[in-house]
Amino acid sequence: MSKESHNLVNKENNDNANKEITLNHITKIEGHAKLDLSIKEGKITKCELSSVEGSRYFEGLVLGRQYFEAHEITSRICGICSSAHVIAAISAIEDALGYTPSKQTTELRKLLTIGERIRSHSTHLYFLALPDYLGYESALAMAPKYKSELKRALALVKAGNNIVRILSGRDLHPVSATVGGWLKLPTQEDLEQLKTELLNVKEEAVKTCELFFTLKCPDIETEGEWFSLKDHNEYALFGGEFCSSKSCFKRTDYKDFIKEYHEPRSTANFVVKSDHRYFVGALARFNNNHAQLSSDAKKLLEQSGIKLPSKNPFHNNIMQAIEIVHCIDHAIKICQELKIKNEPVDKVPLKAGRGVGCLEVPRGTLWHEYILDDKGVITYANIITPTAQNLLNMQEDIKTLVPAILNSKTKEDIVMDVEKLIRSYDPCFSCSAHFLEVNWEEK
Amino acid sequence: MKKLYVFGNEYLQEDSLARIVSNHLHNVELVHCRSPEDLLDVDGEIVILDVVKGITKTIIITDVNQLKTRNIISLHDFDLGFFLKLMESIGEKKTIKIIGIPMIGDSKIIALEVEQCLVMN
Repeated sequence: MSKESHNLVNKENNDNANKEITLNHITKIEGHAKLDLSIKEGKITKCELSSVEGSRYFEGLVLGRQYFEAHEITSRICGICSSAHVIAAISAIEDALGYTPSKQTTELRKLLTIGERIRSHSTHLYFLALPDYLGYESALAMAPKYKSELKRALALVKAGNNIVRILSGRDLHPVSATVGGWLKLPTQEDLEQLKTELLNVKEEAVKTCELFFTLKCPDIETEGEWFSLKDHNEYALFGGEFCSSKSCFKRTDYKDFIKEYHEPRSTANFVVKSDHRYFVGALARFNNNHAQLSSDAKKLLEQSGIKLPSKNPFHNNIMQAIEIVHCIDHAIKICQELKIKNEPVDKVPLKAGRGVGCLEVPRGTLWHEYILDDKGVITYANIITPTAQNLLNMQEDIKTLVPAILNSKTKEDIVMDVEKLIRSYDPCFSCSAHFLEVNWEEK
Repeated sequence: MKKLYVFGNEYLQEDSLARIVSNHLHNVELVHCRSPEDLLDVDGEIVILDVVKGITKTIIITDVNQLKTRNIISLHDFDLGFFLKLMESIGEKKTIKIIGIPMIGDSKIIALEVEQCLVMN
């Protein structure tokens, strides 16, 4: 904090008891979001976090379309996590058709989503989160002083991107993955090349963890329960049940437990589990599944000094950093062990049915559900993104954070900490964002 | 043979002309780029072909600071202009020459202009 800012603290502390903060456009997140915050006599009287993203209607767009079109259409929900939507849609459709993919197909799908996670975490951590912690407006502004860090970021982004490109045929909106298999298989040499690249870049991922371990974050605890997939066989990606520390439920029964509701002010639905807020994402995954991390990721977790389970939402970014190391290790393992066989795409027999696809993606657990008629036409679709599941928890965490810093920080620093908190969840409201505008009015 | 790094999106009319023009070029090795990271491991001089909004004839840009960029506020802003400036800021300064062409025009005529730019290069 600059000397000038310290002066502002002293001058403004008394004024903070009655404030109205409106963040019309929260920056360095994916998509549009707005925060309305009113403080009277030192207490929060209004705290509303809303998505102001234009409605996307993807669930409507797929209605009446053929089963094999769901993943192509829903991929366009977002370029950042298009592979995640592709695999979630394919998984749901295959579930509806009663089809189980081959081990090779499953491993390739895992590798694809791992690549996307390495790319997504690396870009989020270095280009959106890190400038906040280092006191810069953007990555470009911090570039002159943090050259090696940004070179590292680019190397990691590239490594993740190469996995996506080689496996799926494109950097974004994959085309190789399809219902029943893989349209264009990678060669054994492709996997060997990826393995070499990943081994080369792993040290950069370790240094990323070490960098994020040094960053200071506020010490708060969310009251939300954490949820992620929990798979007995591995650090969960696709398999297992949806679990917290207290309970688990089967993915097909998700509607009995998770409820979506609409607030007129927000174009994104809010999601609760048994009327209670919860959170998903890297921190939730670590809380549930840290025992299944790769040995190097476990060592880094120990080095971080963070004891799990953690309920500090700011720790999500640190877990994302460690998760990059785990993802690289998992990707290397797949590239090493998978022996590519020529497997034509299975022609999956059509039948009427309902299917649920649920997987762990960069920002948390993603749900796709489809109902097909006996001709393979989609008659119902439901998609729940990680950000929708985190939205209520983010809002309530702001209510925890602001009173804790109200008397010690300037309005600028309070806004910054609130934004940091929101960004720690790595939200994706969807496909664009605008500059931050802050209206701060005294009541 | 000289390499030309071609950017653009063939599915967007206003962003596809560089790719169309590249089909008419001779004596140049074309590299069709999908993302700015494709330039990361390129050594030496990089010559880029891309469309530029607001121009009516082919131009050569040699200073990346001439490119308009916003501060990155979302990963969707991670475009070629941002990437080139970032590379320069972190000391990855390669000799960059951008052959900028208009968004609309006769691809064969523009291809001749591009070839002239390549000869001048």
